[in-house]
Amino acid sequence: MNLTQFLTIFISAVFIYNVILSRFLGLCSFIAISKETKPALAMSLSVMFVTTMSSIITWFIYRFLLIPFNLTYLRTISFILVIATFVQLVEMIIRKIAPPLYRFFGIYLPLITVNCAVLGVAVLNSDMFFTNNKAVTGSFYYSVFQGICVGLGYTLAMLLMSGIRERLDYCDVPEAVKEFPLAFIIASIMSLSFLGFNGFKF
Amino acid sequence: MKNRLIVSVSPHLHKGESTSRIMWMVVISLVPAGIAGVVIFGLNSLWAIMLGVISAVIAEGALQALTRRKITILDGSAFLTGLLLAYNLPPKVPFWLPVVGSFFAIAIGKQVFGGLGQNIFNPALVGRVFLMASWPKYMTEFTKPLNYDAITSATPLALIKEGKVFENISYLGLFLGKRGGCIGEVCILALLLGALFLLLKGYISWHIPVTYIFTVGLFTYIFGPKGLFSGDWLFHVLNGGLILGAFFMATDYVTSPLTWKGQIVFGIGCGLLTAIIRLWGGYPEGVSYAILMMNGAAPIIDRYTRNRIYGTK
Amino acid sequence: MQKLFREFLKGIIKENPTFVLALGLCPTLAVSVSVINGIGMGIAATFVLVGSNIIISGLKNFIPDRIRIPCFIVVIATFVTITELTMKAYAPALDRALGIYVPLIVVNCIVLGRAEAYAQKSTVLNSLFDGIGMGVGFTLALILISAIREFLGAGTLLNHAVVKGFNPVLVMSMPSGALLIIGLLLGFFNILKKRRA
Repeated sequence: MNLTQFLTIFISAVFIYNVILSRFLGLCSFIAISKETKPALAMSLSVMFVTTMSSIITWFIYRFLLIPFNLTYLRTISFILVIATFVQLVEMIIRKIAPPLYRFFGIYLPLITVNCAVLGVAVLNSDMFFTNNKAVTGSFYYSVFQGICVGLGYTLAMLLMSGIRERLDYCDVPEAVKEFPLAFIIASIMSLSFLGFNGFKF
Repeated sequence: MKNRLIVSVSPHLHKGESTSRIMWMVVISLVPAGIAGVVIFGLNSLWAIMLGVISAVIAEGALQALTRRKITILDGSAFLTGLLLAYNLPPKVPFWLPVVGSFFAIAIGKQVFGGLGQNIFNPALVGRVFLMASWPKYMTEFTKPLNYDAITSATPLALIKEGKVFENISYLGLFLGKRGGCIGEVCILALLLGALFLLLKGYISWHIPVTYIFTVGLFTYIFGPKGLFSGDWLFHVLNGGLILGAFFMATDYVTSPLTWKGQIVFGIGCGLLTAIIRLWGGYPEGVSYAILMMNGAAPIIDRYTRNRIYGTK
Repeated sequence: MQKLFREFLKGIIKENPTFVLALGLCPTLAVSVSVINGIGMGIAATFVLVGSNIIISGLKNFIPDRIRIPCFIVVIATFVTITELTMKAYAPALDRALGIYVPLIVVNCIVLGRAEAYAQKSTVLNSLFDGIGMGVGFTLALILISAIREFLGAGTLLNHAVVKGFNPVLVMSMPSGALLIIGLLLGFFNILKKRRA
């Protein structure tokens, strides 16, 4: 475990393999909710929270349940169940103890259950930081950090996209590419510009 | 009796400036750098420039006709896009490369957004980055300066990236453009002449270029190869597309922030990204990527650096 | 019979999951680098879609309404796991190429979307045909996109060189190429829709 590893995870999760622009996870929400900055930010923060927490939870499940009992083939089903339960739980807790927060985030939480980014980061963590069913050194910290960074990457793409699309409201965009098609084309150019970080080495 | 009084809204006095005039002024300011490029790299680069410009203008006209919009190929903006794209190409490229690049730049970089004044990203850079990703082989083959036999040579930045050292290039040589590189980026003297013209005429403000170049210099000085504060900042400032990018591409009105506060943030952002890519990235040069990324961030920067309307929160 | 055929047909054009409903775009973009990958993903998703549609429509009277989403997910995840293991055993190369996008079929909006919007209110037979139709529509869309991308990005189709002396547009095999193609295709279908209306 060292600093370089963390930096590499950061650069690759945020820029090179950005969840949305390169791995295409969470694309539906990215296109649907990026019309304005405020909801986009709320959604991003919720996603970041859930990716971080689900990285933690699924790591424990993988390490202490699935591997010891030789059940790794149940990875997909157990991860998605845990994530769905967790999100549901968070929704109920927030609604109970912080109604204003619920009004801000509440509607986005159910959407996150089926957000590919959340399950994606859990699966990625178990692919990257376990070799031959053994946790690599620092595996837990890497997993959590990757969870945070994937959330950051999502936030970055979301924030840029929502700013751009707010400005597009004042533009005379050709009828054929209005809304979704143009959003994809913008994402494509953003993805091109992020290529600048390819081959990063410290 | 006819009413001779004309009531119109302000402004009543017109300075005589128009978008089109500004575009042509920028084109004129870029002429010295183009001449220098042709002198340094030979006639090949002249063909590349002409092809880039002509195909950009044709693409603009064709797409405007196709979408039934007003055809504005004479406003200089497509001309400028083609010119800047060609300046960002290596001197000896296959002839179809500037054509494809210009077409992509105009179509995807500009017309899908609705044309002039509405694009989010600098069209020329969209074209260049597209070419770079698609045909890296042609985009990274540079020729030796002042040697018209088309002997390939790497750019100084690429050599640095490979860990090589060289002593035979002087700063004066770099300043005059005696190095491998893209057509329009090599002759710093010619670029500065054009930039000075634009600055004095007030077509561009100093905020973005100065903060951009300063940040790159500072950052490359701090994170030098032999430990902190040992970097050769002058080398980094004179090399690559920094001067061309900072004065002529990052300052594009449409794709950069509106207020000076925003422009300073924009310049520093471009500088940081450029320096980071140069020092640790996989590519030797990061100017186009840095400016494109900051183009994408410009609306957000604008949002947070807007001038407060008096009396509001 | 005619009605069933209509159920099957609607998924291909009128309610094409990719181009009309804009569902399940993540795997569409991620795996469409080559036609082989596209077909593989299409078949895997079709299998999951048909399987989960049948089970969910069969169990529709037993699933309590309030926890139906978790129930659906369990059913879907089971089929995904079957697919994963089968693929690992019999098509390891394809499995490596598709990577994490195989387990991610679980959260593919098409599958859950059909369960929620169709299977839970329809008969088993109708759901079967709906599943096949949607699956085939998805697969066809994948083949279209991956054919464009493979041809432009590598100059090949199904790994066979098509045109001699063609300089492939490498960017088309990259993520940004996928985003660009889908954006342009959606724009193109918009124009077609306008023309017809």
